[in-house]
Amino acid sequence: MESSSSGIRENKGLRFQEFITGYGVYLALVILLIVAALITPNLFEKETLAVMFRQCAQLGIIAIGQTMVMLVAGLDLSVGGVIVMTSIVVAEVSNGKDEMIPIAILTALIFGMLVGLGNGLLITKRKVPPLVATLVMLFLVQGAHQAFTRGVPGGFVPEAMGIVNQSWGFISIPLMVWIGLNIVFIVILNGTSYGRRIYATGSNPEAARLTGIPVNLIKISVYVLASGLAVISGVILTGYVGYVDRFIATGFDLDSIAAAVVGGTAFFGGKGGLVGTIAGVLIIQILSTMVVLIGLEIETQFIIKGIVILAAVSLYGLARKNH
Amino acid sequence: MNQTESKYILEMHHISKSFGGVSALQDVSFKCSPGTVHALVGENGAGKSTLIKILSGALKADSGEIIFKGKNHSSFSTREALNQGISVIYQELALVLQMTVAENIFLGREPRNAFGLVDQVRLRSAAQDLLEQLGIKIDLDMEVGDLSVAYQQMIEIAKALSKNADLIVMDEPSAILAGSELEQLFKIIQSLVKGGVSVIYISHRLEEVFKIADVVSVLKDGQLVDTKPIKELDRSQLVRMMVGRSLEEVFPVSTHQPEDIILEAKNISTDTILNQVSLYIRKGEIVGLAGMVGSGRTELARALFGADMLASGSISLKGKQIFLNNPSDAIKKKVSLVPEDRKQQGLFIGLPIRNNISMSILRNISLWGFLNWKKEKEIVELARKKHSIAMVSGNQEIQFLSGGNQQKVVLAKWLQTRPEVIIMDEPTRGIDVGAKFEIYQLMRQLNKAGIAILMISSELIEILGMSDRILVMKEGSIVAELQSSETSEEQIIEYATTK
Repeated sequence: MESSSSGIRENKGLRFQEFITGYGVYLALVILLIVAALITPNLFEKETLAVMFRQCAQLGIIAIGQTMVMLVAGLDLSVGGVIVMTSIVVAEVSNGKDEMIPIAILTALIFGMLVGLGNGLLITKRKVPPLVATLVMLFLVQGAHQAFTRGVPGGFVPEAMGIVNQSWGFISIPLMVWIGLNIVFIVILNGTSYGRRIYATGSNPEAARLTGIPVNLIKISVYVLASGLAVISGVILTGYVGYVDRFIATGFDLDSIAAAVVGGTAFFGGKGGLVGTIAGVLIIQILSTMVVLIGLEIETQFIIKGIVILAAVSLYGLARKNH
Repeated sequence: MNQTESKYILEMHHISKSFGGVSALQDVSFKCSPGTVHALVGENGAGKSTLIKILSGALKADSGEIIFKGKNHSSFSTREALNQGISVIYQELALVLQMTVAENIFLGREPRNAFGLVDQVRLRSAAQDLLEQLGIKIDLDMEVGDLSVAYQQMIEIAKALSKNADLIVMDEPSAILAGSELEQLFKIIQSLVKGGVSVIYISHRLEEVFKIADVVSVLKDGQLVDTKPIKELDRSQLVRMMVGRSLEEVFPVSTHQPEDIILEAKNISTDTILNQVSLYIRKGEIVGLAGMVGSGRTELARALFGADMLASGSISLKGKQIFLNNPSDAIKKKVSLVPEDRKQQGLFIGLPIRNNISMSILRNISLWGFLNWKKEKEIVELARKKHSIAMVSGNQEIQFLSGGNQQKVVLAKWLQTRPEVIIMDEPTRGIDVGAKFEIYQLMRQLNKAGIAILMISSELIEILGMSDRILVMKEGSIVAELQSSETSEEQIIEYATTK
């Protein structure tokens, strides 16, 4: 307490903390790019970049929602389930007919947001911890897939959805959607009163409530948005794959959490943001791509991911402890 | 035991310490006799915590020496300090809430049996001895989390004793206690001292210092102002030593006559503790709400603010009944609550100052949900000037401000909503005398502007100094209404405690 009243010291602490939490992840990204240029220069070939950015977009769109959920001190394990559900619903509703695409997507969106609503209601009204609540919803959604499809998904993906494969150089439609959504949500988080309320809710829910912020409503809305974003990612993935696959989204839920964590969003809420998450997504995908390019076993990806998250978490921990 | 050559158990000579070029302690010498209570007072930032951290080994002094029990220990480690018999009890208690009383006292030092397992019998009997020595009656098997903070603190003291401490440092122990709990703490301190233990007692509350201390040392701006036997001082002399301002000047005189009733509660009860409480507050009036911790003061505040639901009774504002389902309803009706626990309920500790100040009026500074940053900046700048908040910029995280400045930010946040009634729960807890004075002045200003204030406080001197009227609560009910000019600390305590 005493030492914090001395101006110089607090500035020093502040600068170190601000640097690590604000720019540390970009520094890491630059270093990674330099390393990649040295050992896997073929990463920078147009085709490789195109594939990588498409993967970034699919993960990145979910990571936007995941980041917002984490900002309200939550966690969403159901996003992978929502993606699979999207692909099943789209195929079933449209049954391969192009003119049914809008209705199919709308239906998926409604179903997806219902999952988000379920998450939000369990967490706020029933006080179920986010980990458990979203896991429960994941099981429910997966169970529903199985019961509905009997293990063999029916329906067909409309051909027109292949438009997501359209690309110009390494710029593809998914990449543009990812960039567009990031711009929208960065503006929402930083420039609107809703964004402020999200941070306040995560930072101190009790203080937020006593300041007149409808904390529960904010939390529910964030879970609904996260599921909505998962539906968008699911539509893109479905269009890309062109058929319904129950394992289409394996690992996306945990990877999106990893991206947010690497990007500096804290598990305890109120700290972090999308600018960091973008870098987190890029780092994870670049590493995964490099593993493939070097020709290492695919298992190596997990080990590297683990090491990267560990490094990020310890650095952020150090920075936050510093004051 | 105390056959040291020096007549002091502890001598700290010429201690200096600076952080990155800013001096926190400058040539401070401090001596403590065995079997005495030595109070250490001073404003926030005066260097008390730094001095204690150096004593406990948590920080290393840049220069100077520490002589403890006749031996030179210029660089203590925390473990050495403990082994030598120095125990520090911090404000944030270091207890494991899920463990029992006995387990907590001997945490990490449990007596073991032949198999290397914890010897429950010896553990319990040793714990029992310690508690008896302190005159505390607690069930050894209770989980510490189920105990009141006052009892938790006593367990910390028992823990210190179990380590054979000769010197116990208490860092603002009273900040979390009230009334009879404090009396009990004082009894324990007296019995410790009788047993030859020395106590260094850090406090913001002067009345306690006069009650319990034998000697008092005053720190100001990192330097020792003086060390004197308490008998040689009176209250205003001590205040003057601390802040260079006398007591008469601390509580600004009320020059304002209360007007019509603005807020009235009739027979309100809640599911928790409140039982048929009725009260009124007039425009431009400060009503002091006294009572022990747990008497229902905070619950009353929360009920009037819509944070807790009413089970029965009614609240009216300017003669019209209002229904409060949540704080947001109260805020719309121009009622504000400055909560008791600044860190837990008042602040967004990880967010910038700017967000903290504007959080209550986001609607006013945004159009279609988009924030007007320029307007926000103006508001923050205005608040900074008006309340002389010491801060670098609005983007600075609020955790880097001192307690007093944080409290000013909380007040600034609420004043943005232009409230007509402000409920302040312990508005000056844990902040230094200088900042207190500024908050008292602000309260008087608000008063003059016709704002009604309900002030909850455990500091009776503050209740008496600031209130027009005083309400005393006990066990969920208001048991007395007193005019502050016609009452005394003793009378308030009597109403608050007698069965």
